Amino acid sequence: MGKQILTTCPYCGAGCQLYLNVNDGKIVSATPAAGRTNEETLCLKGRYGWDFLNDPQILTKRLTKPLIRKNGILEEVEWDEAISYTAGRLSEIKAKYGPDSIMGTGSARGPGNEANYVMQKFMRAAVGTNNVDHCARV
Amino acid sequence: MSMGVPEIEDAKLLFIFGYNGADAHPIVARRIVKAKQKGAKLIVTDPRITESARIADMHLQLKGGSNMALINAIGNVIIAEGLADKKFVEDHTSGYEEYKAIVEKYTPEYAEPICHVSPDLIREAARAYAKAETSMILYGMGVCQFAQAVDVVKGLASLALLTGNFGGPNMGIGPVRGQNNVQGACDMGALPNCYSGYQSVTDDAVREKFEKAWGVPLSNKVGIPLTHVPHRVLEEKDEAKKIHAYYIFGEDPAQSDPDLAEIRETLDKIDFVIMQDIFMNKTGLHADVILPSTSWGEHDGIYSCCDRGFQRIRKAIEPKGDVKTDWEIISLISTAMGYPMNYKNTQEIWDEMRSLTPSFYGATYEKIEALGSIQWPCRDESMEDKGTPYLHKGGKFAHPDGRGKFFASEWRPPCEVESSEYPYSLSTVREVGHYSVRTMTGNCRALANLEDEPGWIQMSPADCEKLNVKEGDLIRVYSRRGSLITRVMPTERVKAGATYMTYQWWIGACNELTTPYLDPISNTPESKYCAINLEKIDDQASAEQFVKDSYESIRTNMGIDTAKKGV
Repeated sequence: MGKQILTTCPYCGAGCQLYLNVNDGKIVSATPAAGRTNEETLCLKGRYGWDFLNDPQILTKRLTKPLIRKNGILEEVEWDEAISYTAGRLSEIKAKYGPDSIMGTGSARGPGNEANYVMQKFMRAAVGTNNVDHCARV
Repeated sequence: MSMGVPEIEDAKLLFIFGYNGADAHPIVARRIVKAKQKGAKLIVTDPRITESARIADMHLQLKGGSNMALINAIGNVIIAEGLADKKFVEDHTSGYEEYKAIVEKYTPEYAEPICHVSPDLIREAARAYAKAETSMILYGMGVCQFAQAVDVVKGLASLALLTGNFGGPNMGIGPVRGQNNVQGACDMGALPNCYSGYQSVTDDAVREKFEKAWGVPLSNKVGIPLTHVPHRVLEEKDEAKKIHAYYIFGEDPAQSDPDLAEIRETLDKIDFVIMQDIFMNKTGLHADVILPSTSWGEHDGIYSCCDRGFQRIRKAIEPKGDVKTDWEIISLISTAMGYPMNYKNTQEIWDEMRSLTPSFYGATYEKIEALGSIQWPCRDESMEDKGTPYLHKGGKFAHPDGRGKFFASEWRPPCEVESSEYPYSLSTVREVGHYSVRTMTGNCRALANLEDEPGWIQMSPADCEKLNVKEGDLIRVYSRRGSLITRVMPTERVKAGATYMTYQWWIGACNELTTPYLDPISNTPESKYCAINLEKIDDQASAEQFVKDSYESIRTNMGIDTAKKGV
């Protein structure tokens, strides 16, 4: 059975509202919704820009498993290993050089506000630095 | 933006400065067309003949890198001809005398040799802007991506102060933000100097509030901006001040940042690089650990659009593969480092953020659900407070004295200008079908087919003739920092001597050429100006083969085994 999910377009700052039309767990199309800024219009990115979720592998592929570089090569690992390795290396560097030797970024793209809030809280409260920024400048 | 997007179409005059809506934000550009249809006057300031310039009443086709001189000249005319809103200036502003003293020398005749815009046109534009009932300024990266950028933004705001174009609907100044959630990343405190809601990390009372809520002491030292990372890795001698670990989340600096050779060296020298993203990208080639996350469409949350509007994003499909949401991944690392985070969902995170952020406190999930979109500030949880369509109502500003502050600065030329060795200027721009570093749009079949590697360089027909190149020819472009191959696109829209490229291509990656010079206040790089040279390639067949081979090799590096584009 098909369903319609109301969401905000992930391209540009216009904030257009659109429906993702989903059939059998796959997105089949996007249609404009009556958003405050877009009033039932969409540009070509809003209309056709969902296809990357199907991972057609034109340019590059979706990441589907944590990877750790071992002897120069990225190898698939389980989440437990990826998390403890990452936390361990960060803790080591923090102990050796201090919290200001670590830099983190937020993301101005897909993740959303909550993930950005958690990221800056992590950098400030867990790492102990204000070294957090994002690509607003580029 | 001080106003809302819908208000654009009801302004009586739109002053569009370094902003190409048709390519960057088609749905915002639609409002510009509507405003014109409703009778608004349109003034466009841009070195290129953009779509907005084509329908404009006046096009100030200035030379790139002369923004400050032109804005000062407009302020000069408004004052000299007695067109300022004296009552607004008196009641709601400060710093007018200092402003006047600086713009005094910027007569249109003084500005002309810098801007290449005729004094008559500058006067005509200044008069129209000052006299319209409501004038609205829209600006984009053509203002911000210069080493003199913050000065120019303040200069534009000063024009609005000078003419009383703040405090009511359909006026003000609007930076039309590029990325979908760049406003949101700023709102949430992903900035080195503030927590959520622009609360300063150096304000003791604010910091104590966050220390109490988060249960740990917090640093009162402003952090470093992203654009300082290369310096802090490559040039910093003091080990304690060096950056040793870099947690890159949903960004691709190895494609998007200026001077890519320097970025690659930086990423390779940092002891530990974490990348958290949805796609393999150029940054991933330098990462020590890669954490795969869910994408838009696979998770819930809130974005902030360019006019301060909070709007929901919703999960539509189940993610494939062994991936986690971004906030879960960060929480797990935090917990493993001894600072537990146990959020159950995005609403719980949002509620914590609201409880610490007075200007967003009223924007609850329930209210956003009910209204669809809430423009901050929204301070009260009751349904009475529906947010704030436009800022500075009644001429009240955020400065402690409640007044808007005038600002003028002397014009400074771009950091790297044309020379005999590098006789052309290059500016980075956008094109409509692709977004940012193109990992998303380049993986959408309908969009990927619009344009492909190695991208294009826009050049004037006169320059094409001089170099004896034609549309579609491959051409070598080089600067002091790097070189690349791209395709020639002759266009009447650009002036001779100036060239333009979009930044999403791998082979024609214009950030190989751009300079890392920064605005001293915003630390934004000067992506809109550097000096380059162009070289005709005689053996086109082998250049075509080079492009093809390079493309395949990069794709192989990214883990794509076969070309599946036709699928």
